Amino acid sequence: MMGHVDQLASTINFLTLGQEASHAFPIAQAIDEMKWAGWILWLPILSMLFCGVCWILRVRGKAPAWATVFLLGSSFFITVALFMNYSAPVTIHLFDWINIHWAGGSLVANFSLYVDKLTLLWMLFVTGLGTLIALYASEYMEADLGVGYSRFFAGISFFLFAMSCLVMGDNLVMLYLGWEGVGFASYWLIGYYYQKPSAVAAAKKAFIVNRIGDLGLALGLYLIYHYFGTVQYAELFTQLQEGVDAETAAKGGWMIKVIPFLLMLAAFGKSAQLPLYVWLPDAMEGPTPVSALIHAATMVTAGVYLLCRMFPVMQLHELALPTVAWVGGLTALLAATIGMAQYDIKRIMAYSTISQLGYMFMGIGLLTTFGAAYHVFTHAFFKAVLFLTCGAIMHGFAGQLDLRKVSGLRHMKGWKITSYTMLYACLCLIGFPLISSGFYSKDLIMAQAFITRGPGFTALGMIAILTALLTAYYTFRVWFRVCAGETKYEMGDEHHDDHGGVEHHPHAPGPVINFVLVAICVGAVASIFLGGWAESMVNQSSAQIIDHGEHLVGFWGDPHRWMPLVASSVGLLGLAIAWWFHLANRKAADSLRALLLSNPLTRWLPTAMENKWYVDEIYHALIRAPLWGVGVLLYMIDRYLVDMLLVDGIGRLPRWMGRAFQPLQNGVLQSYAISMAGGVGLVVMLILYMPKLLAWLGGAS
Amino acid sequence: MLPLLLLIPLIGTVAIIFTPAKHAKAIALTASLFAFIFSVVLGFLFDKWGTSEFGLTAEIPWFETFGVSLNMGADSVSMLLVLLTTLLMPLCVWGSATAITERLKEFYSWLLIIETAMVGVFVATDLIFFYVCFELTLIPMFFLIALFGGENRAKACIKFFIYTFTGSMIALVGFLYVAWFHANQTGTWTFDIDTLTSASQQLVFIPFSMHWNFLGWNILDIDITAQHLVLLALLAGFAVKVPLFPLHTWLPLAHTEAPTAGSVLLASVLLKLGTYGLYRFVLPMAPDAVVEWAPFIAVLSIIGILYTALICWVQDDIKKLIAYSSVSHLGFCVLGLFALNPLGLQGSVLYMLNHGLSTGALFFLVGMIYERYHTRDMNSMSGLSKVMPIWSFFMVFFVLSSVGLPGLNGFISEFLCLIGTFTASLDNAAYPGVLGPWYAAIAGVGMIFAAMYLLIMVGKVVFGPLKEPAVHHNVRTLPRDLSFREISILLPLAVLCVYIGFRPQPFTEAIEGSIEHVLSPYPARVERLARQREALLSPSVRELTTVPPEDTPVDLFREETNDGG
Repeated sequence: MMGHVDQLASTINFLTLGQEASHAFPIAQAIDEMKWAGWILWLPILSMLFCGVCWILRVRGKAPAWATVFLLGSSFFITVALFMNYSAPVTIHLFDWINIHWAGGSLVANFSLYVDKLTLLWMLFVTGLGTLIALYASEYMEADLGVGYSRFFAGISFFLFAMSCLVMGDNLVMLYLGWEGVGFASYWLIGYYYQKPSAVAAAKKAFIVNRIGDLGLALGLYLIYHYFGTVQYAELFTQLQEGVDAETAAKGGWMIKVIPFLLMLAAFGKSAQLPLYVWLPDAMEGPTPVSALIHAATMVTAGVYLLCRMFPVMQLHELALPTVAWVGGLTALLAATIGMAQYDIKRIMAYSTISQLGYMFMGIGLLTTFGAAYHVFTHAFFKAVLFLTCGAIMHGFAGQLDLRKVSGLRHMKGWKITSYTMLYACLCLIGFPLISSGFYSKDLIMAQAFITRGPGFTALGMIAILTALLTAYYTFRVWFRVCAGETKYEMGDEHHDDHGGVEHHPHAPGPVINFVLVAICVGAVASIFLGGWAESMVNQSSAQIIDHGEHLVGFWGDPHRWMPLVASSVGLLGLAIAWWFHLANRKAADSLRALLLSNPLTRWLPTAMENKWYVDEIYHALIRAPLWGVGVLLYMIDRYLVDMLLVDGIGRLPRWMGRAFQPLQNGVLQSYAISMAGGVGLVVMLILYMPKLLAWLGGAS
Repeated sequence: MLPLLLLIPLIGTVAIIFTPAKHAKAIALTASLFAFIFSVVLGFLFDKWGTSEFGLTAEIPWFETFGVSLNMGADSVSMLLVLLTTLLMPLCVWGSATAITERLKEFYSWLLIIETAMVGVFVATDLIFFYVCFELTLIPMFFLIALFGGENRAKACIKFFIYTFTGSMIALVGFLYVAWFHANQTGTWTFDIDTLTSASQQLVFIPFSMHWNFLGWNILDIDITAQHLVLLALLAGFAVKVPLFPLHTWLPLAHTEAPTAGSVLLASVLLKLGTYGLYRFVLPMAPDAVVEWAPFIAVLSIIGILYTALICWVQDDIKKLIAYSSVSHLGFCVLGLFALNPLGLQGSVLYMLNHGLSTGALFFLVGMIYERYHTRDMNSMSGLSKVMPIWSFFMVFFVLSSVGLPGLNGFISEFLCLIGTFTASLDNAAYPGVLGPWYAAIAGVGMIFAAMYLLIMVGKVVFGPLKEPAVHHNVRTLPRDLSFREISILLPLAVLCVYIGFRPQPFTEAIEGSIEHVLSPYPARVERLARQREALLSPSVRELTTVPPEDTPVDLFREETNDGG
């Protein structure tokens, strides 16, 4: 394996410790103009405050939604303006935040923006999709008008603020602010239906699991500060470009090499990868626009952003990037297998998100940050569409999400747009040849597995291809079940209050939802043509990779040529299997399941897959339950050992001593006489033996 | 000016005593508000922000023969803590308006007396005066718990009193020893803190050793200096107050039993007396001993952080949970202090403020629930946000501040404490310290635990399906959700939390000078320690470092202490 690593090190210009590195991406220069870019952050805050005022005044109209859409839209246009004005990377100082100086050192973490092309790439789709999804939510959340409507839009606005801080901050502390901020926004919005215990539990779980990742980020940040003396990107990158000097490297020892792994942990938490992915499926308890915006398109890509932004740091250990690749690949496979066996369409999409994020991490690990970032970009659009269509179905069918209970949607009146936008998004997800955006972005990553040399990367490529097959199957399982086939449906059990009781008929999505679906689909189509643009964006930032492997010649020699063919055929195969089991012959799927269940040797397979491989249960048994036990134990120790025995014991010592001599004061004269005699004897003995005793004590010292 | 600040609450007390009980609340509120406004004015008059000097000094002789005086003065850190105290006081009075219905005179006079005592602790520049105020805080708190506390108040107040009193007695012995040492050297008694601080630094040249060999076993093998003993004595006083594990068991009990105002003061200010003591006395007085023993203290704080965090998790009583969380949080504060670098100390001092704001507010919030339902059992209530949206908003807000969500105040201090601890390793060229990455990494797990227990509590109480305990019939005066009065208590605290979260700059700049001054003895000593460690590893360097310390010892007591040992 080490041989592979050596090769890997030679393929890219590794930043080897103690040597000159040859990274030469442009680093931001500070400028004083362009403070107006700060409004990208302040407008969402303004929107949040406005929604807060609406909440206090109990506004019953749609004012919070329109204000949010307007302000987030303005934030998007400012981002576009920033993009238009962009010429070279810059840092824009907004105000001082943590700014501590002393003789010989400083810790500077200001509210400043670091604007390079990576920032812009992320900000464009974050604010753009944020606006569109807020627009969608204005209709979707109608049922909650006057109840939680303002709270919802305040949450969305806060999320956009935190996400902008995360992406635009010029230092790791501000990134950390955004990082925890989006985590809190996610907590806020997953727990939106706060009276549902499952939603509350999911929100809590999301925050706590994310905190584990946050600790990784915090420790990584401390280590970076410890060894490089700065947390600001510009200074950090300058130091890294000049090469880590031998002194720092020697001083850092193995600790400096831990940094990439800590950052990785943070990324895996936020982007729901092994071993911290468990919060994302549960996060589907939130309203669907939230799932689309936060848990599919934007927030969960923060981990990918972090690794792209910190790409030079990720090279501090030669095994860091291969680890990322492997974790991504394994997560992709695991999530896909779980996704195949779920019945809740939103959960399937959640597992699909985890799986696709796995591809992105694989891309980073395989040294195609462009592939990873491009896949983030395309995925943001088509996955948003998928979630929003799921949301439209859920909205129309009173919370129905079971794919066995809704069928033939495309034949129903008013559901055409939903069905066909969903179809297009599904095609993108499976990487359907030529017309889908996923085809272009995913192939980049999968092909790279056969180009970059690294530990087991070829096997990883195989896993990726297998996962593509599974992806095609589970994606079209949903579409064929829900949108195709004969028309029949069962309503869910959630009823909107405004309909005054039970609802028996589905209501098709209104114009706003349809408009948003089409608009994002257009975005998905457009993202096909933005590949070259995205490449130029990534390659002029810290995620730049100068040379990602030898370009092999010949058709079968160059994976970039044969991979589209292989991936599409695998995708079509998965689609065909899904068609057979879920459209042409739906009974076959059930009988296959029954067959597997009836055989004791294979029973575990569907059971485990349907139960998500029991990962939640394992975590509970291995981590949560023991910790709880320790908590109870410590509380006992605290109460009985520390407090009662030690503290009270010492406190009672004088009383006990008093009690010990109590029998002597029994009022019987003889005993007083005896004790007096004894006392006199003791004193005499003491006087006689004192010198000896003292000598012994003194001699001892 | 400062004596006047001390007098204002006392005048209020006198007024309360001589007027009918129905005016007690109004008088207390007026006096505490006036004290607050006055201290804000003092804050503007105070011209030593950012420097290490003491401002607003006042010299009042007391027992001149013994050099005891009532001298006062404030440096930037004391000034901030005074402002915190005087800010919280009117809120406490205002917050007790409906909770306290009997013995009004006693309640409000004790509140005002405790204010004087607390401010006195922060502004004293004379050790005896400091100590008197330090002990004086106990008596009002004793009565607040004993007269207005919960069911178990008798045990709570006695334990609180005896425990903290014993600790501070030992600290007093330490102080007296230093004063005696100084008097012995110079022939004059003084209790001036500055003078005694430099005297105490000399104590390092007085060895203290105890070796007991019993039947061939080395039972005792102690080789320390008198400064170490002073450190131990002071720690006994201040660590109980902070409280540091394992001396914390009085706190959950006292907190749970105390009335709301008492809990708020206890958490927000009285615990800070401990950390302030560490900052003002322990660090400057025993630098050599601290450098040697800081790792042990740090380990205790880390145990405290994790141990109490896990205990918090299994609590059912909200108030007890928050009480235990104080122990956990103050672990970070102490850890930051013993990082012995500017970042850690900045974090620690800010932690004193921030913990005062957010935990104080949490105790207010719990008190508001208790007033309505007369229970604090988490399992008996759920989903309160349905009926108490405003209360829930503030609860979530202050929990987030306590969890250390960036953008709120708690983050700034926790972040600085941890990064200070993390970078405080011997090999750090910028500012060496005796802790290091491992300390911060393990303490950092406390961040996860904090999120766990606080959010689980919020999940149970604030969210979920509505389950309300029976509303207590006594309380017809209170609306279901918060009244305007209650909002006006929480709002200033919330605003401050956000302000410090986004603009810590004015605060960090204000305390820069004081921190620099406290830290001034340290770099040289840490470096010396580093060289000694190196020498242990490589014998060739040993000869270089076994030379006596640079400053020449004033070695007056060698014979006496040898005898004593």
